[in-house]
Amino acid sequence: MQRQRSLLALILVLLIAAIVVIVRIPPRLGLDLRGGSQLTVQVKTTEEVPEITSREMDAVQRVIEDRLNPQGVSEIVVQSAGNDQILVQLPGVNDPKEAEELLGRVAKLEFRKQKPGTEAQLQAEYRVLKELQLQQESLIKGNDQKAIEENKAAIQRSNAAIANLFEPTGLTGENLKDAFPQSTTSQTTWEVGLRFDTKGAALFADLTKNLAGTGRSIGIFLDNELISAPTVGPEFAQTGITGGSAVVTGNFTAQSATTLATQLYGGALPVPVEVVETRTVGATLGQDSIQSSIYAGVGGLVLVLTFMVLYYRLPGVIADISLIIYALLTFAAFNLLGVTLTLPGIAGFILSIGMAVDANVLIFERTREELRAGKTLYRSVEAGFYRAFSSILDSNVTTLIACGALAYLGTSFVRGFAVTLSVGVLTSMFTALTCSRTLLLFVLSFSALRKPGYFCPNLSSTQPQPEATP
Amino acid sequence: MKLQVIKQRNLWWAISAAVILAGIASMVISWQQFGAPLRPSLDFVGGTRFQVELDCTRSDCGKPIDLAAVRSVLVEQGLGNSSVQETINQDRRGISIRSSPLSPEQRSRLQTALSEKIGPFDPATTRIDTVGPVIGQQILSSGLLALLVAFAGITVYLSLRFQLDYAIFALVALLHDVLVTVGIFSILGLVFGIEVDSLFIVALLTIVGFSVNDTVVIYDRIRETIALNSDRSIDDIVDTAVNQTLARSINTTLTTLLPLISIFLFGGETLKFFALALIIGFIAGVYSSIFIASTLLALWRERTEKVAPVSAGDLAVTDPPQKSDEAL
Repeated sequence: MQRQRSLLALILVLLIAAIVVIVRIPPRLGLDLRGGSQLTVQVKTTEEVPEITSREMDAVQRVIEDRLNPQGVSEIVVQSAGNDQILVQLPGVNDPKEAEELLGRVAKLEFRKQKPGTEAQLQAEYRVLKELQLQQESLIKGNDQKAIEENKAAIQRSNAAIANLFEPTGLTGENLKDAFPQSTTSQTTWEVGLRFDTKGAALFADLTKNLAGTGRSIGIFLDNELISAPTVGPEFAQTGITGGSAVVTGNFTAQSATTLATQLYGGALPVPVEVVETRTVGATLGQDSIQSSIYAGVGGLVLVLTFMVLYYRLPGVIADISLIIYALLTFAAFNLLGVTLTLPGIAGFILSIGMAVDANVLIFERTREELRAGKTLYRSVEAGFYRAFSSILDSNVTTLIACGALAYLGTSFVRGFAVTLSVGVLTSMFTALTCSRTLLLFVLSFSALRKPGYFCPNLSSTQPQPEATP
Repeated sequence: MKLQVIKQRNLWWAISAAVILAGIASMVISWQQFGAPLRPSLDFVGGTRFQVELDCTRSDCGKPIDLAAVRSVLVEQGLGNSSVQETINQDRRGISIRSSPLSPEQRSRLQTALSEKIGPFDPATTRIDTVGPVIGQQILSSGLLALLVAFAGITVYLSLRFQLDYAIFALVALLHDVLVTVGIFSILGLVFGIEVDSLFIVALLTIVGFSVNDTVVIYDRIRETIALNSDRSIDDIVDTAVNQTLARSINTTLTTLLPLISIFLFGGETLKFFALALIIGFIAGVYSSIFIASTLLALWRERTEKVAPVSAGDLAVTDPPQKSDEAL
């Protein structure tokens, strides 16, 4: 009895903890439920990089994150999938076009030299471009597709005009080893540090020597767009900036320095990527399917609970209580583990409740058999649990084996399903064997409920049923 | 009521054989039609599914969408071989287009052209999936690999917990369930145009994990009965074991099917056919456990035991001690 009491207390504590978790930590909803876009990006090999290693993957992942973060989408998920793919989730983005364009292109970073005599022209063109870009931002808010397209073309023309004022130097992103934001020695402003490889260092020294003190600038181009145009001070006219390191100074804030460093470093990425899959779900569509699936699932469960009481009587009531405990514990476990709930995940959850009944049914069928064989109620219940155990174990292990195969080999959302189902199976072992048993034995401690008829209807009354508990 | 599984085994085998053969025939026909045994969805062949609904506040949702106009837009865009369907979801009208993979530019051009022709769409109800053919191959091969690994894992586990022949017949029963489900979906693909997506592979794996449960429970009973009465004939033992576990088999299948049937009937579009695959697979699973795995095991033991009658005795060693009144 003492052991039962402490188990009962444990179950109660777990239950309260589960409810607290459910209230405190909201579930993470997958994109198919909240709406948004999911893109799969294939990282490709090139002649220079014949094999994709985790280093390339990390670099690409970082670049994608850095490119997407300024887009103002909250809760972006960028994770590697398999050996050479990256999964990008953009909640709330109904048109993945922008993101797709951004991801799909291979950014090319180039250091160019401004042509002599173009100083005034560059100033003018740059002002035009800034104006067009500001205009674009307000147009996007207004959602006038046609005007946006027109303005975009103007921006492109302006970019091309600027690019025309520069000439290539042969120094590209491939020669750039690193780019990082750093605060200046006075600690009040920010600058961007650059490091080149040996070939890059030589080219950079050459370039800076050439431009030092002329007022003409180094054009740093990302995909033919000027992202920065620093000038070189006259003190470098003799040798240029040597040693492979340089600092771009200017009116940088911490944020703008980080942005430029990211653009520079991102542009240094040597492997191309391609978007091979996009899935977009509108927000309402997700809401619709979550709602109807939950209604349907709950409806089905109510039927299951009713069936258990009608067929198994008192133990059925106990099983129902364990099932509800099961559902709460499992849901809390999902929230605690940070499992992302997707539509298949919800199906896995509902399914696991149906499967959790299985253990109870096995136990109660055994209990009935023992009762029919003339055993006492208490012994029958104990024997039911004991004898059903090997079946419950074997059948759950086989389900876990299938889940393991799915989780290990499946693609992302398949994995989500496998994880939810395995958490469910493990929890159901606990609730069926511990909760049901403890509750049932607790119920048996009330003599009014100790009637075999409550456990097994139509039990032949010819046999005397001793009521004593051991 | 006592089920005579052994006596009527030819009948049970014939039923299974008929369903499986019909499925195989359908797979052959669909192979000729679509180049695949089942009607493959986008997930496997690649392409773009473009599903939009009209914005009822700004367009007329009362009358049906002019599909001919939609088709003419598609032809203009050079997408003449796409398929178009009208969708109606809670009074909201929309269209679902399936085409070859579209680039972001092609897709937005199509979207603009379509809304000019038939009215503004509600972006909150849009669904666009583009899958490259490479991904489909990947989903398929990783799915099939997962299926094989699950088969192997279950066989190894069961041959450790029981014996090798038990494990092999459990595997036969599992193949039966997979074949029945695939076959029926192939027929559904031919008759109603139902497509299989990557969720179907998930369904198959779940079926494998779940329907082996019934087989295990019956095996457990057979092993226990053999240990208690090693002199009874295997046919008799199997018959008894099946009948003793019958109520459990029916009840657990029923309790699992209830939520699934309700998802199939009332759930969201995405899960509908996933639930249907599970329903078919689980029914096949309980059937194969009762009528296929057990009868084959009986036939096999009957044949081999005439040669080596001792094999049943070995089983008692692996059995748990019969101290049933002890606590766990």
